[in-house]
Amino acid sequence: MGSEASNPGRPTPVKIVIAGGFGVGKTTFVGAISEIEPLTSEAIITQASAGVDHLPELNTKTTTTVAMDFGRISLKNHLILYLFGTPGQDRFHFMWHELSKGAIGAVVLVDTRRLEACFAAVDFFERIGTPFLVAVNTFDGERPYSLDQVREALAVPAGVPMAYCDARRRVDAQAILAKLVEHALATALESVHAT
Amino acid sequence: MIAVEEPELEGKLIRPYTITGGRTGDDLPLIALEALISATPTAFRLRHQFRWEAARIIDLTRKETALVELAARLDVPVGAVRVLVADLASRGAVTIIDPPTGIATTLDGYMYTNLLRKVLDGIRSL
Repeated sequence: MGSEASNPGRPTPVKIVIAGGFGVGKTTFVGAISEIEPLTSEAIITQASAGVDHLPELNTKTTTTVAMDFGRISLKNHLILYLFGTPGQDRFHFMWHELSKGAIGAVVLVDTRRLEACFAAVDFFERIGTPFLVAVNTFDGERPYSLDQVREALAVPAGVPMAYCDARRRVDAQAILAKLVEHALATALESVHAT
Repeated sequence: MIAVEEPELEGKLIRPYTITGGRTGDDLPLIALEALISATPTAFRLRHQFRWEAARIIDLTRKETALVELAARLDVPVGAVRVLVADLASRGAVTIIDPPTGIATTLDGYMYTNLLRKVLDGIRSL
């Protein structure tokens, strides 16, 4: 499966997940650096209904449509980087697993006016061991809290990088992605040396 | 499972799977969202044998295109595109380029760190 990665003529797809609460600027971030207008695709999820308003003997299923926003960046060396925004609403957290599988890492975007919206993302990536960083979106240049304050409030572990960014600015998105991959590389090197 | 006798639901939620003959692809290996799909030379010979959606996939994958991007451009759910792509692949009309699976699985540490260095270099030179 992974052998294609070493074939020089063919492109290799890689991905980074952009996570965070609803309305925190994930699609803005993707759009700031994507070479295409961010696209939306839908997945239909069928689940056994867990609602209390169903009669158990009907064995009903519910179908939910989850929308995923994503963008694309062609890099040199035949690499194509896809950026996936996670669905923000809590009820779609089960999609995070699929989005994160095989990801280089994740950017957790934070709006300091609604810190609580980011707890779930920080927890999730810490738990599944995906390298991540926390990017504090500075809406209109606002920096009401220091990065240390945000780290403490979100209980972000010491090794996780943090940075400010303006999600509308391409250079900021680029810097954040570079910082994330540096972190992912350092993490990978550590585990290589440990084995 | 008793779900077979389930009455048909109405509207957009179910309709997409009519293009796959009702198959949901649960029996197929999962193609990653970012896996790149690429039409083979054979595809253009076979193109007329396929229905509209599959033929569109052949057209869109003249240049490698991710599964998730095909879904967006065709306005069809990801699951339905997976089934169509798997069909096309079994007929030799497309190839699927899987993403690297990371350090814990197929790629050894050296290859993976090498890949990350290339990605980093690529992002910095944007």
